[in-house]
Amino acid sequence: MMRRRDFLARSCAGLASLSPTLSHWRLRSGAPWMLVPMDDTQADHLKAYGLTFRLLEGGGRAEWLLNYRNGSFLLPADATISRDAALNGITTEALDDGRVVEIRGEVEGGNMDAVPLEKAPKVAVYAPPNAAPWDDAVTMALNYAGIRFEKVWDPEVLGAKLKTYDWLHLHHEDFTGQYSKFFLTYAGAPWLVDMVERNRAMARQLGYPSVPAEKRAVAVAISEYVRRGGFLFAMCTATETLDLALAANGVDLAAAYADGTPMDADASARMRWDEAFAFQGAQLELRPTVPVYSDIDGHQVNSPERRQPLGSFTLFNFSAKIDPVATMLVQSHRQVVPDFYGLTTSFSRRTLKPGVTVLADEPGAPWVKYVHGEHGQGTWTFFGGHDPEDPQHQIGDVPTDLSLHPHSPGYRLILNNVLFPAAKKKELKT
Amino acid sequence: MTRLAVLLLAIVALAPVALRAQDPGMSRAFEQERRGNYAGAADAYRGVLAKRPADAAALLGLERALLPMGLSAEILPQARAALAAPSASGAAFGVALRAYAAAEEPDSLRSVAERWAAAAPGDETPYREWGAAALSRRDRPGAATAYLRGRLQLQRPDAMAAELAQLAFADGDFEGALREWLPAVRRLPGYRVSAVSTISQAPDSARDALLAAVDREHDFTARRIGAELRARWGDPLGALERLRAALPETRPVAVEALRGLLDQLRTQPGREARVAQARALELIAERSPDAERARLRLDAARVYSAAGERESARRMLVGIAEDRSAPGTISSGASATLVQVLIGEGKLEEAARRLAERRGEMGGDEHAVLQRRLVVAYIESGDLRRADSTLGADSTVDGLALAGRLRLYHGDVRGALERLKAAGPFAGDRGEATDRTTLLALLQPIEADSLPALGDALLQLARADTAAAVTGLERVGGGLPPDKGGAGLRLLAGRLAVTSGQASDAERLLRAAAVPEAPGIAPAAELALAELLLDQRRPGEAVAQLEHLILTYPASALVPHARRRLDEARGAVPRT
Repeated sequence: MMRRRDFLARSCAGLASLSPTLSHWRLRSGAPWMLVPMDDTQADHLKAYGLTFRLLEGGGRAEWLLNYRNGSFLLPADATISRDAALNGITTEALDDGRVVEIRGEVEGGNMDAVPLEKAPKVAVYAPPNAAPWDDAVTMALNYAGIRFEKVWDPEVLGAKLKTYDWLHLHHEDFTGQYSKFFLTYAGAPWLVDMVERNRAMARQLGYPSVPAEKRAVAVAISEYVRRGGFLFAMCTATETLDLALAANGVDLAAAYADGTPMDADASARMRWDEAFAFQGAQLELRPTVPVYSDIDGHQVNSPERRQPLGSFTLFNFSAKIDPVATMLVQSHRQVVPDFYGLTTSFSRRTLKPGVTVLADEPGAPWVKYVHGEHGQGTWTFFGGHDPEDPQHQIGDVPTDLSLHPHSPGYRLILNNVLFPAAKKKELKT
Repeated sequence: MTRLAVLLLAIVALAPVALRAQDPGMSRAFEQERRGNYAGAADAYRGVLAKRPADAAALLGLERALLPMGLSAEILPQARAALAAPSASGAAFGVALRAYAAAEEPDSLRSVAERWAAAAPGDETPYREWGAAALSRRDRPGAATAYLRGRLQLQRPDAMAAELAQLAFADGDFEGALREWLPAVRRLPGYRVSAVSTISQAPDSARDALLAAVDREHDFTARRIGAELRARWGDPLGALERLRAALPETRPVAVEALRGLLDQLRTQPGREARVAQARALELIAERSPDAERARLRLDAARVYSAAGERESARRMLVGIAEDRSAPGTISSGASATLVQVLIGEGKLEEAARRLAERRGEMGGDEHAVLQRRLVVAYIESGDLRRADSTLGADSTVDGLALAGRLRLYHGDVRGALERLKAAGPFAGDRGEATDRTTLLALLQPIEADSLPALGDALLQLARADTAAAVTGLERVGGGLPPDKGGAGLRLLAGRLAVTSGQASDAERLLRAAAVPEAPGIAPAAELALAELLLDQRRPGEAVAQLEHLILTYPASALVPHARRRLDEARGAVPRT
């Protein structure tokens, strides 16, 4: 709560200082304001985030009008931004000063807020060098929206480079070092052979005795990155395995095929959950042949006897003025979103730590979909599932083409996370 | 047969008997089962069996009720009691077998099966049920033991052959499966479909050996299986040839075999499959009575024609035309198909003669359609005079559409426009209507009434001489102002140059078409130019072109298409 109050105070101060700056710029250039509406009038919700991001990247400033027309952006219009919007088919509305004043009045009077966006975060995506460009929802969203990012993998995370980024995304990496537990099910598949070889070579190169040991070191480095002020966003099985790897301090939770020794039979009891971000008290899946890690995932998509059907998840409403962070993360033009599978689809309520903020859940179900929390001076956000527009995602599926889903509410949630650090100006402590 | 299927058959067979009996215990049991109260149903069935241990309907009912609860083995006491009755039924033996399998008591299972076999000598059922019960527990060795025991006891080498074939296949012993299927099919020909369906799933690496093995057999059954396997494995002509060589003299058997292969060939794509279909139809026709023979020859001709085998198609059609016993409708259909074949072969004079000769036999519409096809063929041959005379004064919408094109090829722009407009949107199929609209859009800005050079250029295009058409269109377009048809003709020439691989000509023509003086044409020209640049791996120039299009013509209907291409060029979405 203390941190949110701090944030609110800083946001208000930032807004107060930003508005005159924007007005000054506007008056000097003689250009009107530009509203990027994010309700159903928007022709391309996803590219609207890219437009705002590029404005920040170019040194400009913007405001995120939380809950105003589903999270619209107020930009100072200029020729470059207008051209960018026209090229990308993004709906914008020209505003004069009088209309801006009216909007500020509406924002002040309702459950809304105006958050200044000051600096484009430097974005990193954790992915092995051979990762398919279309097999990661965040990479797809960033590419489609036109947001620049760099790829990092184990050498960068364990080296010094990670701390140069503001925002880190993890997708379906298995931080327990068990190759998504596909080792036995997909034995001989070329992509698996390649994955195993690449990871083993990397573990050897970095001086670790096994892939699980090396991946746990990566998980610890990521935890340290967040503790020092980094923003972490994880999806799919990276959420669950990251926490399992962190909590497995001194516990062997990898099957024999991964590290040469069987999993500790009492691993569940020996996990040190205080070292994890989000979860506690989970029961681990001991069978190496079942591509399931634990009972953290509510849907258990790869366990025929425990698999749960997909429903829809509902985004929570937060107070924009008191909880701006949570409000930013749930900005959407749809409150109810169809669910989608991933190796980890959802998070059992029973395994959530008490301080975790639930951003979206399936009402009545024993699982939640989207959670957020703080760790040291940084924050983390976990979003279950693989691809919001490919609910059943199978290995080998054709890539999702986001030009066919420009209004995807699931992808909007991902992009909320990318812009969120822009609102929360902070220097990483090194 | 699966265990569930056995139970369902038992319901069908025994439920009416039970209901007729009006037994209150059985009625209660059925009612509970219908409601899904399996525990209640089981109790009710047990009550009936306590009074009548050998009641087959109650025993099968109890088995059905226990199955969904995962308690199949709990039927053992009732099964033992039923077997202890003076005349144990087949149903009681079957239930007992399945119960011992569920209880994983293989010795008891074997003992019951042996007892059943002794009670029904010469019957395969006890061994089949024994094997099925073992398979339900995924015990393939146990099932094989049961089947082989049956073969030994029954003293017939083909006993249990189908069951052993399926086991062998599941174990990856494909040649073993074939060795078992052959005697099974010889004994019961109805097994052939299952045999072919199963063996055809053998992997590529096993197929040559399987075909060699089947070819070593000399009976018709084996040859037929070999032919059908060849058809499934992508050798339709080889399949037909093997079958033809083995066909018996007996007409019904031969026709039935040919029809079986024909059914299989019809599901397969490709020219060879079509040729094989046509030959099969021809072989059936040779073995059929007069009226049916003509119809089959007509079918064969159509399939030959579709496969591009015009000589064979014509041979069939001439045969029908000369066959005085062929029914009139078939003779007429043959004539129409023959005219089409002759047109396809470029024998236009012979086609015209046949069409004139058979005019009385054909329906008016059919004749008109063929006549227009002949007109198109004359156009494509460059003989506009014959095209004019053949079309005559056809005043149908299709005739007007064709007359419009003919006027255009003569250079009569105004006459062409009038006829194409008169034809309206309903002539021909959707593709023809779209082509006509495109042609109208091309011609409407042109102010000249007559442009023979344009007619020549478009005639070259109709005759598939794209290079000459590009040259001609560029020359005519260069003489017209951009907004008076010049840009449109250059765009068409540019697109044609793209399709014929003349990239540098295409780029020059498309740039010449993308001028602001022709705002209706420029967006399409810019998009075509950008796509050409993308194909030439010049993404930077393509992106600039697409951005120019979007920003200069924001209201153009092509902007969404341009944005899509822009996303692709930037790598924002996967390329389609």
